[in-house]
Amino acid sequence: MMLTKPDPQHTQLYLDGVSVSFDGFRALNNLSLIIMPGEMRAIIGPNGAGKTTMMDVITGKTKPDRGTILFDGDTNLTEMDEAGIATLGIGRKFQKPTVFESHTVWDNIDLALAGRRGPFATLFHRDGADDDRILAILETIRLSGRRDVLAGALSHGQKQWLEIGMLLAQEPKLLLVDEPVAGMTDAETAETARLLREIAQTRSVVVVEHDMTFVRDLDVKVTVLHEGSVLSDGSLDHVSADPRVIEVYLGR
Amino acid sequence: MRILLLLLSLLVTPLVWAQATGPLIDALGADDFAAREQALTALTETDDPAIVPALKALENGQLYRRLSDDKVVIGQEQGESITLTDPLTGEALGTQAAGDLERIRVNNRLRRAIDASLGALTLRSPDAAVRQSAADAVFVSRDAATLPLLETALAAETDARVKRSLEQARAAILLADATLGTDDKLSAIAIIADKGGQAALALLSPLTSSTEPAVAKAATEAVRLIENKLAWAAAAQNVIYGLSLGSVLLLAAIGLAVTFGVMGVINMAHGEMVMLGAYTTFVVQEIIRAHAPGLFDWSLLIALPLAFVVAGGIGILIERGVIRFLYGRPLETLLATWGLSLVLQQAVRSIFGPTNMEVGNPAWMAGAFQVGEVTITYGRMWIFLFGLMVFAALMLLLRRTPLGLQMRAVTQNRSMARAMGIRTARVDALTFGLGSGIAGLAGVALSQIDNVSPNLGQGYIIDSFMIVIFGGVGNLWGTLVGALSLGIVNKLLEPLAGAVLGKILVLVGIILFIQARPRGLFALKGRAIEH
Amino acid sequence: MQGGILLPRLDRAGLIFGAVALGLAILIPILNLIVPTDSAFHVPPHVVALMGKYLCYALLALSVDLVWGYCGILSLGHGAFFALGGYAMGMYLMRQIGPRGMYGHPTLPDFMVFLNWQELPWYWLGFDQFWFAAIMVLLAPGLLAGLLGWLAFRSRVTGVYLSIITQAMTFALLLAFFRNDMGFGGNNGLTDFKDILGAPLQADGTRSALFAASAIALAFGFILCRWIVRSKLGRVLVAIRDAESRTRFLGYRVEQYKLLVFVTSACMAGVAGALYVPQVGIINPGEFSPANSIEAVIWVAVGGRGTLIGSVIGAVLVNFGKTLLTNALPEIWLFALGGLFIAVTLFLPRGIVGLWTGYWAKRREKQAASIATQPVTEGS
Repeated sequence: MMLTKPDPQHTQLYLDGVSVSFDGFRALNNLSLIIMPGEMRAIIGPNGAGKTTMMDVITGKTKPDRGTILFDGDTNLTEMDEAGIATLGIGRKFQKPTVFESHTVWDNIDLALAGRRGPFATLFHRDGADDDRILAILETIRLSGRRDVLAGALSHGQKQWLEIGMLLAQEPKLLLVDEPVAGMTDAETAETARLLREIAQTRSVVVVEHDMTFVRDLDVKVTVLHEGSVLSDGSLDHVSADPRVIEVYLGR
Repeated sequence: MRILLLLLSLLVTPLVWAQATGPLIDALGADDFAAREQALTALTETDDPAIVPALKALENGQLYRRLSDDKVVIGQEQGESITLTDPLTGEALGTQAAGDLERIRVNNRLRRAIDASLGALTLRSPDAAVRQSAADAVFVSRDAATLPLLETALAAETDARVKRSLEQARAAILLADATLGTDDKLSAIAIIADKGGQAALALLSPLTSSTEPAVAKAATEAVRLIENKLAWAAAAQNVIYGLSLGSVLLLAAIGLAVTFGVMGVINMAHGEMVMLGAYTTFVVQEIIRAHAPGLFDWSLLIALPLAFVVAGGIGILIERGVIRFLYGRPLETLLATWGLSLVLQQAVRSIFGPTNMEVGNPAWMAGAFQVGEVTITYGRMWIFLFGLMVFAALMLLLRRTPLGLQMRAVTQNRSMARAMGIRTARVDALTFGLGSGIAGLAGVALSQIDNVSPNLGQGYIIDSFMIVIFGGVGNLWGTLVGALSLGIVNKLLEPLAGAVLGKILVLVGIILFIQARPRGLFALKGRAIEH
Repeated sequence: MQGGILLPRLDRAGLIFGAVALGLAILIPILNLIVPTDSAFHVPPHVVALMGKYLCYALLALSVDLVWGYCGILSLGHGAFFALGGYAMGMYLMRQIGPRGMYGHPTLPDFMVFLNWQELPWYWLGFDQFWFAAIMVLLAPGLLAGLLGWLAFRSRVTGVYLSIITQAMTFALLLAFFRNDMGFGGNNGLTDFKDILGAPLQADGTRSALFAASAIALAFGFILCRWIVRSKLGRVLVAIRDAESRTRFLGYRVEQYKLLVFVTSACMAGVAGALYVPQVGIINPGEFSPANSIEAVIWVAVGGRGTLIGSVIGAVLVNFGKTLLTNALPEIWLFALGGLFIAVTLFLPRGIVGLWTGYWAKRREKQAASIATQPVTEGS
C-alpha cells in the first residue's frame, strides 16, 4: 500500500480522492487507485463496494462529486463524455454482455473498429476497407465461423467473447472488464482468462470479478474495494490473509 | 299564516309606528308633486324604517294609488293585472286590474328627495349591516345633499366599522367640494387612501393634478399606495386561480402518477378514464333527476364511488386484456393505449352522442365568497380541497396499507417480490385499477367545471404527462408540487401573455426544463433508475 | 461494394422501388389525361388527387420509419414537420392568389385584410418566390427538428420521454397556429388557392403533375433512406436503437447521429406536407393535432417498422381503408383505427412486412440479413 501521494506522471490511470454519492449513499468514498501502463489488475469486493460505480466514473457515465481522474498521466477524464473517453482509448465491457443483437457478428466488430466516429464519416464510409482487421479479430475471439450470424443468436459465452472482440477492435490503451465470466462454464472461464492475459500483453486491463478461481487464474495484483474505498491490495494470497478482508467477506 | 306574519312584523316593526305612518303614506297619493314632497318630508321625519319599501317602490315606479279607496299600495305588474301588497306590513292584498290603480309619478326633484330620505332612514337603521350598506351607497353616490344626515349619523354611530365607512363617505363628498380648505382636503385624502380599491383610485386620480402642491403630492402618494395594494390583490387573485387550475391538473395527473410514475406504464387512455368518471356523474344525475330529485345535492358524493369503480374496473380490464402483454415495451404500450383511447371515445360518442352533456352543480358548489379583495368560488374551493384529499388518501394507501407495500415492492423489484410470494400479476392489475379509478374521481370533479364531452380527456392527457415528468417520475410529492406550480405559473402568465400564449410558454418551458433536468424536479439519483 | 463515395450506392430494392414509383408517375397521368373518360382504364381526377394524397402520407410514414424503425426515436411530432412544410407551401400559394382574393388587395391575403392588417408581416416576405418557399419547406421543419433534437439528444432524453416531448411540441404549435395574430390564418388556415407555378390548381393537368411530383419525391425519399440505412451510418443507428450506451462506449457521439437522422427525417416530412397541401387545397392548424402524428406512427407499425417499404405499404393501406370506411360507416372508423393500434402492437409487432419476411425466412430457413429486424430490447 502506498502511503505517499504518488506522481501521476507515467501512469495509465490515476484516481485520487474520488467520491460519488447517490441520495446520501456514498458509492465511492475518497477512492485512490493507480494502474500502470501494461498492468493487469483484478478488483474484488463484496456487493455494493463501488466496483461498478468506479467503472462508471472512469468511463464518464457518472460524474464524480470530488476527486481527480487522469488518463495517460495528463488527460482529465472528469471533463469528458463517454464517447470522448472511448476515443481516447478506454474500452469497457459491461457486466451483462451487451452486443448489437440485430447486427451480425461481423458488423459488431466493424462498428467497434478504431476509426473516424462522426456521422458523415460513417455515411460515406466504404465497406471492405477494414476486412483484414475484422478477420484477425474474429480469429482471436474464435468466432470466424459465425461471422454472418446475428449476434442475438449467439450463446452467452460467445456474446461475452464478441464483446471482448469489439473492445479489441477499439484498440484501447486501457480495458475495463466487468465480471467477464459470470454465467460461463468452466471451460469458457479458462478460455476467457487466456484471452484476457493475451490482451493484457499490449495494454492495461482492469478486471472486476467475483469468481476467485478466475482471479487466481489471472495471477495478477488484486485490489479489494469496500464501501467505496480501497481496503487492501497485493497478491491474491496476500489479500486473502488480510484480517480486514476476511472480516468483510465472512464477518457479520 | 296571517297570524305568523303579524307576529313577525311585530318583531321587526314596532306596531305604533305602523299605526302612525299609515295615513302619511296614503298622503303620497296626493295630486301634485309639491304635496307629495311634503308628504315625503313628513314621512322621513317619522324616522320609521318600515317606510323604506314604500319609498323604494315609489322610486321604481311601483307605488300605486288604489282608486276605490285612495289607499297607497305597492304593486307588481303581472301582465294585465297588478299584484298588490301593503307598503308597511308587506301583507298581500290580492290582485287588481291595472285600470283600478293609478301609478304615483315622480319627477327628478322628488327622486332626489327620495334618495336623500332613503339614505337618511337607512343610515339610522337599527341594523348595523343596513347602515353599513347605506354608508357604502353614499360613498358611491357622493350626493352633497346627504352631508347633514351623514354628520348626524356619524355623531350617533357606535359601530367602529360603520363609523369608518361613514367617515369615508363624508370624505368622498367633501373632496368634491372645490372650496374645501387644504388641510381638510389632506385629511379627506388620507381617509380615502385608507379605504383603497378601484373607487378610491377613481376619486383620487383627478387630485394628482391639483393646483395645490400639498394636495397633489398627497394624492399622488395615495394613488401609488392604492395601486400597489391593487396589484398585490390582483396577484393574490391570480395565485388563487392558479391554485385552482393546479388542483384540477393535480386531479388529472395524480392517477397518471400511479400508472406512469409508479408502474412505468404509458397509458394514453388515461384521459378517457377521466372522461368516464365525468360521464358516470352525468348518468348518476340523470337517474336522480328522474327518480329522486331531492337527492340532487348528494349527486356528486354518490357519483364518486361509482366513478372510481367504473373507471377502475375498466382500467383493470385494460391491464388484463392489453397492457400486461406489453410490459417492458413502453413505446408499444403507448401506441396500444392510444388505440384504446380512440375506441373509448368513439364508444362514448356512440352511446351518448357527440354533444356536451348537461351536468349540474349542487347548491353547495355554487356561489362565491370574498377574502379581502380576492374572490373564491365554492366550486373551485371544494375541487382544491378534494384534490388534496385524494392526494393524501393515495399517500396513505401507498405508505400504510399492505396493498401499498406490495405495490411498492413489485415496482422496485418484481422478481424478488414474486419470490416472496406476492402475486405480482394481481398487484399490477390492482395498481393500474387504482390509477384509473383516481382518474375517474378526477372526472367527477372536472364535470363541474369543464364540458362533459367525449373529448374531455384529450384536453388533459398532455398536461398530465408533462406534470408527472416535470415533478419527477415515481415521485408523488413531485406531482403535487408540479401540478400546483404549473397551475400558478400558467395563471400568472395569462394576464401578461394571454391564455393561449401563456399555455404555449408553459409547454415550451417544460420542454426546456426537461432538457436541463431529464429526470424532473425531484429526481431520483443513482443506479437504481437506470433500466 | 461498388460505386463512388458520394453517389448513393443504389441497391436492388431501392432501384425497384424507384422504377415502380416512376412508372406510376408516368402511368397515372396518362390514364387520367389521355385515356378517354369512357374507357375502363380511365382514372378520374379525384382518384388522382386521392392517390397523390396517399403518396404524401407514404413519404411522411417513410420519414417516421427512418427515425423510429432504425434509430428507436418514437416521434409523436412528425405531423408538425409535415404541417410546417405544408404551411410554407401554403404561404407561397396564398401569395400566388395576388389581387384575386375576395377583398382584392394586391398583396395581402384575405385573412389579413379581414384582420385590418396594413402590410405583410416580415416572415411572409419572399414567399411569392417558389424557390424561396421550396427552401423554407426544408428549412422550417429542419430547424425546428434541429433545435428540439439538439436540446433533447444532448440531455439524453430518450424513449417515452422523448415521445411525450415531441407530442407536447406539436400540441404547442397547434395552439400557436390557432391564434389569429400569428399571421397564419388562425383557425381557418390557408386556403382558396388559385394556382401553382402559373398552372391552375383545379386543372387535371396540374393534378396529374402534382401526383407525378409526389411519386418522384417518394422515390427519392425511399432511395435516400435506403442509402442511409445501408451505409455504416445506418448500422450505427441500429446499434443506437438496440444498445445506446454500448454505442456511446464505443466512441460514437450518439446525439450527433440522432440529430442528423432526426433533421433529415423532419425535412422529408416537410416535403411530404408541401406536396400534400396543393393537392387537398387547404392547410389549417388541425394538421398539428397530436392525433395526426400518432396516426402516422401506426401506418409504420402496420406495415412493419424498420423495413422502409413497410411504412409505404402501411400508409397506403391504412389510408385506403380510412377512405372506404369513412365513406361507408363513419362511426366505425375510429373503432377500426383504435382496434388497429391494439391489434398491431399485440399480434403483429413486426407488421405486414415482418409477417411476410418471417414466412419466407421460415420456409427457406435462411435469415434475411439485409433487412434490419425487430429490436430485441428497447434502449439500454
